Amino acid sequence: MSEGIIFDIREFCIHDGPGIRTTVFLKGCPLRCKWCHNPEGMSAEPQMINSAGSRRIVGEKYQASEVADRLNSQADILCANEGGVTFSGGEPLMQSRFVKDIIDLLDKKLHIVLDTSGCGTHSDFQMLAARVDMVYFDLKLIDRQAHVKYTGVDNDPILCNLRALSEFEKPFVIRIPLVPTVTDTDENLSAIAKTVRGLPGLVRVDLLPYNKAAGGKYASAGMVFDPGYDESAQLNLNIDCFKKEQVEVRVA
Amino acid sequence: MNELLIEKKHSVREREHKRFRQQAPPDVLAECERENSSGMRRAALLIKRQCEAESVVIEPGERIVFTRTIPCIPRIYADMDPVCLINNICADWQMALSQGLLGRREAAADARERYKDNPQASEFLDCAIESIDAVLALAARYAQAAEQMGRHDIAQMLRNVPANAPRSFHEALQSLKFMHSALWLAGHYHVGLGRFDQYMWTYLEADLKSGVLTESDAEDLLAEFFISLNKDTDVYYGVQRGDNGQSIMLGGVKRDGSDAVNPLTRMVLRVVRDVGMIDPKINLRINADTDLDLLCLATELTSKGLGFPQYANDDVVIPSLVAHGYDLEDARDYSVAACWEFIIPGKGMEIVNYETMRFPKIVDQAIRNGLAAGDTFDGILNRVKVGIDEAARRYADCYSKRQLPPAPFYSVLMDDCIENGRDLSSGVKYNNVGIHGACSASAADALAAVKKHVFDQHDIDPADLLAALDADYDGFEDIKQKLQNDSPKVGNNDDAADSMLTTLFDYFADACEKLGDHDGKWIMRPGTGSAMFYLYMADEVGATAEGRKKGEYFSANLAPAPNIRVHGPISVLQTYSKIDYKRVCNGGPITMELSDAVFRDQDSVRKVAMLVRTFAQLGCQQLQLNTLNYEKLMDAKAHPERHRDLIVRVWGWSGYFCELAPEYQEHVINRYKYAL
Ligand code: SF4
Repeated sequence: MSEGIIFDIREFCIHDGPGIRTTVFLKGCPLRCKWCHNPEGMSAEPQMINSAGSRRIVGEKYQASEVADRLNSQADILCANEGGVTFSGGEPLMQSRFVKDIIDLLDKKLHIVLDTSGCGTHSDFQMLAARVDMVYFDLKLIDRQAHVKYTGVDNDPILCNLRALSEFEKPFVIRIPLVPTVTDTDENLSAIAKTVRGLPGLVRVDLLPYNKAAGGKYASAGMVFDPGYDESAQLNLNIDCFKKEQVEVRVA
Repeated sequence: MNELLIEKKHSVREREHKRFRQQAPPDVLAECERENSSGMRRAALLIKRQCEAESVVIEPGERIVFTRTIPCIPRIYADMDPVCLINNICADWQMALSQGLLGRREAAADARERYKDNPQASEFLDCAIESIDAVLALAARYAQAAEQMGRHDIAQMLRNVPANAPRSFHEALQSLKFMHSALWLAGHYHVGLGRFDQYMWTYLEADLKSGVLTESDAEDLLAEFFISLNKDTDVYYGVQRGDNGQSIMLGGVKRDGSDAVNPLTRMVLRVVRDVGMIDPKINLRINADTDLDLLCLATELTSKGLGFPQYANDDVVIPSLVAHGYDLEDARDYSVAACWEFIIPGKGMEIVNYETMRFPKIVDQAIRNGLAAGDTFDGILNRVKVGIDEAARRYADCYSKRQLPPAPFYSVLMDDCIENGRDLSSGVKYNNVGIHGACSASAADALAAVKKHVFDQHDIDPADLLAALDADYDGFEDIKQKLQNDSPKVGNNDDAADSMLTTLFDYFADACEKLGDHDGKWIMRPGTGSAMFYLYMADEVGATAEGRKKGEYFSANLAPAPNIRVHGPISVLQTYSKIDYKRVCNGGPITMELSDAVFRDQDSVRKVAMLVRTFAQLGCQQLQLNTLNYEKLMDAKAHPERHRDLIVRVWGWSGYFCELAPEYQEHVINRYKYAL
């Protein structure tokens, strides 16, 4: 039985999938998005957070069975409310074995969402995607160089996993964090629209407007927030790019 | 809302009506003393002189009238404040409206004849009749003034109500406004409005059917009525402004058990949402099968951040009241007093917040004395039990000696007081006494922490714990850490803590049941609310074993202790579903704060509505859901002028944030910091 590091198990995360859900936040992410508002999710290790005068360790070791037991104890309630469980992060693919073990122990009636940046090996991605009912797939930038510049990694494996996902015909939602002047350009949005249009399984695209409080948590995690873009620039909420490609789009 | 109503709301918010206020109330005490009047006569004289002293206010465009001009309630006893008068109950508005004050006068005259040989009853009935006449005379003065001003519509209405049964929804609202205001004028406070959608629907339904009113006309009238309830609240007595008990109960079942939800239920929810003021406080009765659509409508109100509706679960409350001796039909008719205490309109002279079981204080003494005496954990629990028993007995003894001052006008509006020739103060069908069960989560956490560290794991020595408590944890940081951060906490669906919580309420219920029913006259009802005791006790109790330092606030109502992180609302509901509510029926809600970010999604309203349904399905009793934006609160503290209309829930009531005392502001901010 595997164990892993989790930085939060939060109930009533209603924006993380259908119905009432509990979200498991797995610690560790291979990306370093400049706008990340969960900086405590980046490092794979437990770390000290200092906020408002109190110190606490973020990131705790759990056995897969412990997590499954806790989720299963609420399975009836989650199911009665059209919901279930979401695995998010950080990046769940970084602890794919652990996540797989949890899922295998979960009450079969629970609806499961994998919320991923898509950044992981093909086999890890396949292993988890096959086990969940729905995938929330974050797409940031189509341009490879820009992707490297703003997230620290190449987007090749991500796009590759996206294609694999559509071959599965697993329902999925594309989520785009709208970051002013970075991801919200017409160019990027229409490139994303063209990439996803017509993919089997695509439910819709969610645009997530920029959260100005993004930088708030960095100092308490002992990190520096250095966005490298103008946070206060007017957001380009261009949904026409998607309408043109007949992709269903929502602003969350 | 139309423009006129928006203007009216603004004017009420600016308290422009204050310009009508008189300098001082009539001097009633001198007259009472001169004549050495009885309590009954004093009460009747109070309402009479108050009605005479009122000056008529009819503002342009106003369609439901009555504005208070007397700035406060004059004394009628040299040694007692008028705020000791009967309060926090609810009249039988259905009966009062349908009979009209003349109908009540006839009933009183009848009874006067029957009881003519009974001096006590005769005096009461004479006083009841005098107070009815006083209110009718005031209505007649209003009618006359309206006539002179050319407001024939108002004149015509006031010639009919509150004397007779209303002929329309509009008249029903006017009649209610008049009688309700008269109770405040007579010195009563926390005057409840009861099951408004039930007693008002007859009038509205008839008008909608006959075409006298369209739905939108009705909404405008309703909006005006609700705005008018906010008018005189600055002269209403309460712990803080806003704490005035103008509560409405919606929905639920009828006396025969059938579904009571009607179009007015929904209309009230919509209109209150659009009006967006602190009164009336809305309560909604639901059950495990309540329609999700209705819950969505109610949730839209929650998302407005007014701090209501508060929900009560019929599946739990009705059987609990029955178990406490209420007839099933009456139990089905329950409403709430000012905050959350369950009462039966017209049939309850309950003192619902007579005293408070101070759980943290009792538990703290049990822990300190038990550790000092070398007790086992069971020994400590036994001390808790004894402490609760003793407090309950003490409260019961005090209560047995209490005497309520007579209330002839309130009696007119209650069931059977007139008919039986007995004033409300000598009792009606239900006369129970309610005791809050305050700060239960903090107290349970203290027990759970001691059990874990002193008795199970043996990693804190009893003597060290005592020393740490005495030192307010100064120099005992490691012990404090263990107790605070490495102990089971109420609100996480963890039996180690939750079993302490249920034990406290079991002891509390045992203690009350042991006291019996006092020859069928009254029982003591245990509750789960805290009112303001989470603040009051903070300095009264030193450091406590859950890792709290002296001066820090305790948990409020049914909510996890402040400053601890819980898994979330589902676990909180699971925790609180473990209490045996059949044995605790005085009310006291699970209190949860939602961040307004919850409502950014289109389907979030539906999901929050599902959470409310889950509350009912899990068998919890009462729920208060509040929405707020933490940053906005902080900004309001720094720049009150920018947030004059910011409304927050305080405990059983909502108020304007900027009008609260600083300690209440601070507590509200602290609560929202841990919002879900
Ligand atoms: S992928 Fe998500 S968690 Fe990882 S760095 Fe980017 S925003 Fe943060």
